This record gives sequence, structure tokens and C-alpha cells, in this order.
Amino acid sequence: MFNHHLTRWLLGYEAQRKRMLKKAPEGPLRDFLSAPFPALYTPFDQIPILAVDFETTGLDAVHDKLLSVGCVELCHNQIKLGSSYHQIINTKGRLKADNVTIHQITDDQKDQGQPLAQVIAQLLQKLTGKVMLVHFARIERQFLQQACLELYGMAPPLPIIDTLVVAKKRLDKRDVAYDPSELRLSALRAKYGFPDHYAHNALNDAIATAELLLAQVSDRDESMSLQQLIL
Amino acid sequence: MDSALTEISEFIQAIPPLELLPSHIIEQIVKEINICYVRRGQMLPPQGITDESLYILRKGALSYVTNEGELLGKYGEGEVCTVFCFSNNDNIKVTTDEDTLLYSINYHNFRQLVDEYPDVMAFFQQTAEQRLNKKMLQVNEDAILNSSLLNSSVVNFYHSPVVTISPETSIQQAAILMTEENFSCLVIVRNNQPLGIVTDKDIRRRCVAQGLPTDQPVSTIMTDNMATIDIKSTAYDALMMMTQKHIHHLPVTKNSQLKGMVTVTDLMNNEGQNAVNITSVIHKAKSVSELTDISSMIPKLQIRMAKLGTTADHVGKSISAITMAFTIRLIEMAEKLLGPPPVPYAWLAAGSQARQEQFAHSDQDNALIISNDMQPEHSYWFKDLATFVSDGLAACGFIYCPGDVMATNPKWCQTQQKWSQYFAQWINTPEPKALMHCSIFFDLTTVYGDSRLLEQVQEKMLKTTQHSTLFIAHLSRNALNLRPPLGFFRDFVLIQDGENKATLDLKHNGIAPIVDLARIYALSEGISSVNTIERLQQAAGTPSLTKSSAANLIDAYEFLSMLRMMHQANKLQQGQQPNNYLSPKEISKLEREHLKDAFKVIKTMQDSRQSTY
Repeated sequence: MFNHHLTRWLLGYEAQRKRMLKKAPEGPLRDFLSAPFPALYTPFDQIPILAVDFETTGLDAVHDKLLSVGCVELCHNQIKLGSSYHQIINTKGRLKADNVTIHQITDDQKDQGQPLAQVIAQLLQKLTGKVMLVHFARIERQFLQQACLELYGMAPPLPIIDTLVVAKKRLDKRDVAYDPSELRLSALRAKYGFPDHYAHNALNDAIATAELLLAQVSDRDESMSLQQLIL
Repeated sequence: MDSALTEISEFIQAIPPLELLPSHIIEQIVKEINICYVRRGQMLPPQGITDESLYILRKGALSYVTNEGELLGKYGEGEVCTVFCFSNNDNIKVTTDEDTLLYSINYHNFRQLVDEYPDVMAFFQQTAEQRLNKKMLQVNEDAILNSSLLNSSVVNFYHSPVVTISPETSIQQAAILMTEENFSCLVIVRNNQPLGIVTDKDIRRRCVAQGLPTDQPVSTIMTDNMATIDIKSTAYDALMMMTQKHIHHLPVTKNSQLKGMVTVTDLMNNEGQNAVNITSVIHKAKSVSELTDISSMIPKLQIRMAKLGTTADHVGKSISAITMAFTIRLIEMAEKLLGPPPVPYAWLAAGSQARQEQFAHSDQDNALIISNDMQPEHSYWFKDLATFVSDGLAACGFIYCPGDVMATNPKWCQTQQKWSQYFAQWINTPEPKALMHCSIFFDLTTVYGDSRLLEQVQEKMLKTTQHSTLFIAHLSRNALNLRPPLGFFRDFVLIQDGENKATLDLKHNGIAPIVDLARIYALSEGISSVNTIERLQQAAGTPSLTKSSAANLIDAYEFLSMLRMMHQANKLQQGQQPNNYLSPKEISKLEREHLKDAFKVIKTMQDSRQSTY
């Protein structure tokens, strides 16, 4: 156990962060990398967490575009709405109609958004020293890393808690068949009796994800540390 | 603000008293929210919060209990828990009954945001008593405003149809029609378009005084260019127009078609005097069936008064006055039928009628007190009287008393001496059960006959009640059997053992406890009034009741009576039998808060009564 612990630590996010810090260009990415990530033994209520959600034009981080970013801080078992952030990005090109119906962001709104570089810089600043919380990590991780590659020439390590994976692990342990749709954010929230939330708005989804994590963590009788939650 | 937070803003904005805040303040409050999740069975405040905070329930349920474990109340979704706004809450514990999603807000920051909104701050800073007082001040002000002509449409006052006549009709024909219809004015119309108006005065001044032949067409003496008022106008507009033009009759039109007529007298007879009108009609009635017809107006009057914003006190007094008029008229009819009474007597009303707190469709509670000169053979006359009157009252919609507190019951048709004995027995050797049934006789009033008979008995009675601690103790114990609920939980009424009920019994769990308390104060202090508000006013400042407690009880009583009046008006309007069962769904969240305050006032006074005896 100790060995496994140590191995992850050495090869893990902290090690990667320190390695990359040496190479990172001056600017938002370097600032992000200069603060240490929370240690794995940090108890849940002490982990600084930023719940994040992206709205995108599609699922492919290389070809599709980031449309909007929403995030909110979670720490000491509390979601702080005062920290909430929502920004539409002024991406190039027109939006596809079938997509607009999902994320409800129109071309006009998009055109009034901020440039990608500015939004990513703000997001990295908020993420500094924190663990990123998402539901279904693939999208947020790939889009953020792709954006960093384009903007700074390198993709940073991102310690992530994924509420979908937390739920999936628990379902897998029970060893009974389940429908993958049970892992959707709204389905998991409904299981905890949470009120419906207006989905497909990045900030709303970020808040909804943070609420779900609070419920998942307090579901457990023993206190949890970052290690038990991290991807 | 971020569009994403609108959902939360909308949720917050629907919560009383935050609904009174403008949206830019709500937005700032939302920014102060920290969302917490607390599992079932945990104590508040949530882990990690030490600041004085208020909590808004987004999902779940909280119970607050005393350190001794007595349930004080529950909070459900959309309610604000203020227990932790102040640091001096050592005697209250709050626990989660379900897994709960909470919005916590730092109270210090919150107070700064809403500082300029005294109505909102009052909710957090004032006591239940203060909040209730404020509400009742406002209700009573509104009652004065609403009943003014300014706020009522002319529709509420005009009568129709109007007696009309064609312009070619002779003056004599017009005069005959006016006499036949008992109208002092006619409207001259062609194709239902009003052309002019002719009044008594016109016939006198323009025809008789001028020597004009009465076979001339009425159009020669009519006032043309007549003023009319549109049906959409307020009664106040109508009154102003009549005052300016020095006229007493004003035709009401809709799309220039004649709809009716409003007179100065119509406007002057505002809702209060309507009750007076009914009593005068009752006085003229010649038969029981006529009285029965008139009685159908009572529910309508009650609806109208309630809708016009009249206070419950005023409605209770009006309805009681009408019941009294019915009773008196029936007694007069009976005396005409039976001959004069053999000995002096008085007809007594008991309970709500005596207290002048009666509403439509209440049951009849009455009794007879007879001079001590009464001989055994006289009892037939009184039996016949009682039967005639109570049957008549029943025909007029006042159902027979289920507890048989009626003059027809020989037990309650007795001489002055016997009544004195009854009271002496109830007071000197009180039995709790017997007392429960006879408390109604401590609220007695003379409706008809020799009022000295009852007054003498009551004077003697009040002298003994003041010194009979055992009697007061028994009365108090009975009064404490009826407890107000704790409050509300979701759409249910929450009662002491934590159970939920679908409806609130406004009478037994709200109004009756105050009526009982007022009776105890009055009897302890030798106060002869029976009306609850008067009893409380007169007991204020005596050893039994402080001035401030009296004011609080009056506020609670008026608020509960108002809710009952509105509830019954709604039932009556839907053609249903009025009852006292109020569903929390019928009232707003703010009204529920006021109700909780009223319950708290009653509980405080009951608890202090409990510790007294």
C-alpha cells in the first residue's frame, strides 16, 4: 500500500507539475504550475475544488470548439456561489443549428464573448492549487489540454475528481447490471432527490456537479481523502 | 448577472419575506449563498460553519426542538431557518429529518444587504408578537381604505332594472307609474337609450306649480342633457358627480345603454349600514316565511362584507345584530299568538351570538330566564314561546344547537333563582366535565325582555368567580385542552406530536383558545363584558393580563378571525356550507408565517396560564 502510494506520488501530478514548470513559458500556464496541488491525503473538506463545465460545439477536442466555461468553488463542504464564473467564448466560425438547440448559445451571444486566450487564462488562474471537479472528465480534460497546447505549446497535468467515475465505481462494486444512462448527471441527482436543474448551461452544470459530489461524499460513513476520489 | 444563477434567484425571490426585495438585491444575496448538503439525522449548523447564518431549505426537512426534546416546529423546502441568526440560541436544537440541501447565508452580510428594507428586516429581528401587530395594523388600515367608495365599483351599488317610460307618455301616466312602483324618479328612454330623467320634484316645479296640464307628454318636463355614469366608474366618481351637479339620481350606462340607477342613498348605505337595513326589514316582516326569505341575505351580506375588507369584528357584530333582530321579531310574533307573558322574563343568547362573534350558518344557543314569581302553570306559555322561536330560527337557517343549549330544553328555561343556583353550583363545586359543557353560559346576553333579570344573576356570579380559585383553575385546565398547532410543514399542518394534518381547525385550534382565555381573565377580574376583544381590552393591565399580552392576543384573535371570515366567504361564494377547516394550500406563504406568529402568541399565553393555576 505504501509503495503504491509512493509510486503515484512520485510519478503523479505533483512530479509532472514540477517537471513542466521548468519548461513552461512565462504567463498563465506557468503561474498555474507554480502552485502545488493538494496532497493526496488531504481530507475531503480541506481539498480546494473547482467544479468546472464546458459547453462545446462537439465531442472532438481537436476539431470542435469551446463555447462557454462555467465554474464554482467547493471547499469546506460548501459551494460558494460568490465564486461562480460563467463566460461565453468568441470562437471563430458559425454555430451549427442542431448544436445551438442544446447549449442555447446563439451566434450573437458568441460574438459578444471573450477570446479563448483570455478565458483559458482566467480559468487556469481559478484552478491554481485546486482539484478540478467535472462530470465525465473526458470532455473538460481534452478540451482544456487542447486549448493549452494551442495557446502555450504544452498541456498541463490536471488532478480531477469525476462524479461519474465515483458513481460508476460504486455501481460496479455492487456487481449488478445497470443501464449507463443511470450515470448521467441528472439521473444521479434524481437518485439523491435533488431538484431538477437547468442543464446545458456551463455554470448550472458545474453547480449541479458540485452538489452531487457533496451528496456522494456524505453518503460514505467514513471520511474520505483526495486519494479515494481522484481519477 | 450570470444567466445560470437565475434559477436560484427565482427560487429565492419566491420566499417570504425576500419576495419584497428588488431583483438587484436578490442577485447580491445569491452571491452570498454557500450550498451545503447535510445528511439525515445530523445537527445544524453544518460542519465548518461557525458564523451566525440563516439557512434556506432547497430540498429536505428540518425539525427544531427544545433541549428537553419538545418539538417546536419544522422547516420544509423554500423556508428560512432563522435559529442561527443570533448567537443566543442555546436552548434550541435543529436537526435534519431528511437528507437536506441547504443554502447558508452569512447573517451579518445579509443584514447589510437588506438594511434598507425594514419590512424584510422585521421578519428576522422582530418577535412573533411584533410581526403580528404590524400585520393587523395594516389589515385594519386596509379595511378602512377598502370600504371607502374610492375602491368599490359603482356596480356594487346600483340597482336594476330601472323604471323607464317613453317620451310620449303623459305626465299623469308618469306620476301614476311612479306611485305604483314607489320610485321617486323615472328614466325616459327611446330604444333603451336614455333621453332624460323625471323626478318628483320636476312634476311639482315644472308641471303643478306652472299650471301645465298633466296630459302633456312627460318629455316637456324632463331634464335632458342628463348626467350618466359609465358602469366601469367607481362609487366615489358617482358620488362626486352627484354632489357637483346637485342631483340625487344617476343612471348607470354600459356602452351608452341604460343598465341601472344609483342614488345618493345607495352610496351612503355602505356595507355597515346594510346590516342596519336588513334589521329594519326584519322588523317589518309579518310572517315566519317572510323572515325565512330575508335570512337568505345573510350569507350574501357576509360575502360582501368580507370581500370589501371589513374587519371580522365588524362582520361578527353585524351578523349577531341580525340574529338578534330575527329573534326579537319571532318573539313579538309569538307574543301576539300566545298573548302577553304571564310574568316578566328575558330571552337570552349564549355563546358566539352573546359575544357578538357570530357568522352565517351558526347554530342557535339560547335560554330563558323568568321572574321568580313564575307559577308551575306558566311553564306552558314559555314552552310554546321557546318552541315557536327556535323553530322560526331554524327555518331562518340557524340550526338547532347540537348540545341542546336551547330555551326549549326545560333545563335552560328557568327562573332567576334557579339560574343563580346553577351558577353557584358551577362555581363553588366545579367539576371539570360539567364545566366544559356550561362555559357557554358564562357568555350570556339579553336579547329581549327584562334585562335586569340576567344582570342581577351576573352581578352575583362575577362577585364569586373573582375569589373562586378552584373554579378558575378548572376553567383554565379545560381551556388548555385546545392547543394551537406548531406551524406548517410543506402543505400540511404540523401538530404537537409531529403528526401532519391536511387542514387547520381555525375555530378549535385558534379562535376558541383565545375566547376561552379571555373568558378566564374576565371572570377572574369581575368583568361583565362577554365580547372577546372587549374582555381582553378590559382585562388589560389587571393582575390576570398585562397590557402587552392583551394587545398580542387581540392581534392574534383578529388575524385568525379574518382568515376564518375569508375562508367562509370563499366557501359561501362557491355555494358550499361554510366550515372552519382551512387548508394551508388556500393561503399564501406569508399568511402562513403570520399564522405561525399567532400560534406562538396563543401558546405563550396558554403556557403562562398553565403555570398560574
